[in-house]
Amino acid sequence: MNNTEIVKQSLKRRYAKEKRFQLYGKLAVLTGFVFLALLLLDIVTKAIPAFETTEVQLTIPLDRNSLEIAEDATLDEETLRAINYGGLIKKSLRNMFPEVRKRKDKKELYSLASSGAEFDLRDKIIANPELIGGEPLTLWLKADDDIDTYYKLQKVTSRISEKQIAFVQTLQDNGQIRTSFNTTFFTASDSREPEQAGIRGALLGSFWTLLVTLLLSMPVGIAAAVYLEEFAPKNRFTDFIEININNLAAVPSIVFGLLGLAVFINFFGLPRSAPLVGGLVLSLMTLPTIIISSRAALKSVPPSIKEAALGLGASHMQTVFHHVLPLAMPGILTGAIIGMAQALGETAPLLMIGMVAFIVDVPGGMLDSATVLPVQIYLWSDSPERAFTALTAATILVLLGFLVVMNAIAIYLRKHFERRW
Amino acid sequence: MNDDHAPHISGHISKRFDSELEDIRNKVLSMGGLVETQVKDGIRALMTSDSAVAERVGNDDYKINAMEVEIDEECVQILARRQPAASDLRLLVAILKTITDLERIGDQAEKLGRFELELIDEGSSSKEFVKLEHLGELVSRMLNRALDAFARMDVDVALKTIKKDEKVDKEFESLMRQLITIMMEDPRTIKQALRVSWCARALERIGDHSINICEYVVYLVHGKDVRHIAYDDLKDQIRDIV
Amino acid sequence: MPEDAVNKTPDAMTDFEKIEGTIGENLIHNPKFSTRNVDVFYDEKQAIFNASLDIGHNEVIALIGPSGCGKSTYLRSLNRMNDTIPSCRVTGDLTLDGENIYSKKMDPVLLRARVGMVFQKPNPFPKSIYDNVAYGPRLHGLARNNAEMDEIVITSLQRAGLYEEVKDRLNEPGTGLSGGQQQRLCIARTIAVSPEVILMDEPASALDPIATAIIEELIDELRENYTIAIVTHSMQQAARVSQRTAYFHLGKLVEVGETNQIFTNPRHELTENYITGKFG
Repeated sequence: MNNTEIVKQSLKRRYAKEKRFQLYGKLAVLTGFVFLALLLLDIVTKAIPAFETTEVQLTIPLDRNSLEIAEDATLDEETLRAINYGGLIKKSLRNMFPEVRKRKDKKELYSLASSGAEFDLRDKIIANPELIGGEPLTLWLKADDDIDTYYKLQKVTSRISEKQIAFVQTLQDNGQIRTSFNTTFFTASDSREPEQAGIRGALLGSFWTLLVTLLLSMPVGIAAAVYLEEFAPKNRFTDFIEININNLAAVPSIVFGLLGLAVFINFFGLPRSAPLVGGLVLSLMTLPTIIISSRAALKSVPPSIKEAALGLGASHMQTVFHHVLPLAMPGILTGAIIGMAQALGETAPLLMIGMVAFIVDVPGGMLDSATVLPVQIYLWSDSPERAFTALTAATILVLLGFLVVMNAIAIYLRKHFERRW
Repeated sequence: MNDDHAPHISGHISKRFDSELEDIRNKVLSMGGLVETQVKDGIRALMTSDSAVAERVGNDDYKINAMEVEIDEECVQILARRQPAASDLRLLVAILKTITDLERIGDQAEKLGRFELELIDEGSSSKEFVKLEHLGELVSRMLNRALDAFARMDVDVALKTIKKDEKVDKEFESLMRQLITIMMEDPRTIKQALRVSWCARALERIGDHSINICEYVVYLVHGKDVRHIAYDDLKDQIRDIV
Repeated sequence: MPEDAVNKTPDAMTDFEKIEGTIGENLIHNPKFSTRNVDVFYDEKQAIFNASLDIGHNEVIALIGPSGCGKSTYLRSLNRMNDTIPSCRVTGDLTLDGENIYSKKMDPVLLRARVGMVFQKPNPFPKSIYDNVAYGPRLHGLARNNAEMDEIVITSLQRAGLYEEVKDRLNEPGTGLSGGQQQRLCIARTIAVSPEVILMDEPASALDPIATAIIEELIDELRENYTIAIVTHSMQQAARVSQRTAYFHLGKLVEVGETNQIFTNPRHELTENYITGKFG
């Protein structure tokens, strides 16, 4: 048997091995994909109901008598605010189901409409005072979250009674109940009532927090990276700093939250729950990431370019700012965006500095109390109302969307500004 | 004299280059051997009027020519492929020149044979006119020394051989004077005497070519071109280098 | 290391010990660059031992020697490129036109404007061809307006023998050129600053033979206006382009001489061995 034959025999085994290995790889990738798909499918199916809301058609009498306004009273805002809108809605509901008599049944009937519906009605009347005294107004108002859940999912839960199911059936027969796109989700802030709750507050909270983080960690991180990589003398002290930066990147994020609580809030007396403090804490957390990735980007600039500039008589600083930094910029930006995305998804440190509070107002600046998207998810996932499950999933989708967009920008920057040399 | 200064052919990183150089050097030496035999035979033919030897000398020259062409080609190939420098370059240049001179020495030896044949045809012999032995012996030893110097890259031997040129010149001149006297005494001998003078001339040329070879040896070892320089200046220059 | 060499027989001596000093004409009259007793250290490790060498006006000097012999280190000490390596220390007298280049008064930035450098790997900036050449003059403020800058760029490209090939695409990236063109672009970039001396560190080692020939031809033309020191691994190249050749071995300057002499009849055994391809 000569060598060719020996090789030939072993060849079969080698190819089989190769194929097997490829198969394992494919299987691993496939498993990953399946899990990812399952996760996404679960979130998306859970989130879809949150983008729809159930509304009930009510006919509100608007004569001054029903509104309990004197005939000669002027319709200024104060008067309009004083109107018992809740009573109007209840009255309207009673009119629709005149057969309901018992107090207990009435209570169930009233709970068809959202407890926030009266505010929607109020806003509508205040915006259009000329409607008063005219024909009864027919309008769609939000249904209660339990009705909403039942109607959208057609699923009976312990939170809905048989009576209510009957009411919904009647409304459905009369065409007085419908679903529509849930704009509230994007325009409102947090609320105890799921149908009234939205993510606007959390979105703006995230925005302010990230703005602070970006403004702080980008310049500081890049400056630190450039100094350490290009100018710092190589000695024990800089080695020590380098090791510490690397270690900081691995510190659990909640530790940064504790630090923020101790330093920024307790020592410097900055307001609790403020995006400013959140941004400061997240900056601390993203700085190591940005410094490490920026240093890697700076290191990857070929030394030949540096030598060329130095050889032409550029000073060290000119070399860095004319050549090294521009060439490293795509890498630095990518690192920074990834750091930002990490900050966007961070919850733990923000819990420590009080951004977990229930905040109904939309934050108008860096010092207002606010919460952020991931914390909002955390809050809602904890709520007992069933409708919050859908809201949680929807918020996760929004957050994932932002993360995808940020990563896409990072990839775009890298592809577009990367220069070949 | 200064062995450490003499170039070593071996020791290249490329062992094939070593063997190529060694091979070409051996060929030159065997060509030298062939030429030496031819010259000796030529002289013997003159001395003994042996027509057989004379004829062989005349016929064998083609072997030398063929060797010259072969070595020439190998040198060109090495020059093209190895781009030799320093001592290797000098060795190849010296070889190229040496084989030219060897080939010319071969031609002179052939002439010796041819003239001797012509003399024999005319029923005559060089012996009747002058004694060529001394010159022949002198020249033949010079050639031997030159080849020896080349083989051992020995500048000392080369310089001593160059010095001998003066003797050859003197010997040649005295032979010429003798021949002229003979021709003046008896003009009928002019034809044969001229032939003999041509033989002497050929021997003298062999001496000159031998000296050239010695000069190439000096160039090869010291990188110094010592042609067309008076012998005493030459010695000074060599001393400068060493 | 070299101290105990005295009592050894020649055969027992290492190569390092065989080099007692520099053979040949290392010092010349009226040099452009003059270096005396140069030692270069990387931390404790000595890379150059007591090298003394003069470089004349308008001459091309080739520095040859095996890898790690210190020729590049020596070259880079001529325009203080070694300053960028913190552990590197240069001692000895190095003067350019009589000015000590390692004195406190000498600004390395100014020195590098006077002593340009071309590197082994063509390293154009990832910018346009025009900007590559204009970078140096812009840096030093050599042009007062755009017209002058255009003039400088075009002249430099012409001198580097590249203008005809790139005149229609001056705004295209320099990195898009072929290797040989890139190296000529780097040469154009270097001469745009009007240096007095050009140092070349194996400028053609990454190029094909034709591009190499073009660069060599260019070096020959540049000699009219510049003093050139070139480090090369190709002995044929050293032989072709230079007037003088210096041979470094193990950090010592072994032999300096006319290129013709070095390549036909080197005096030192080590030079001979290196040139003929015998080592060890």
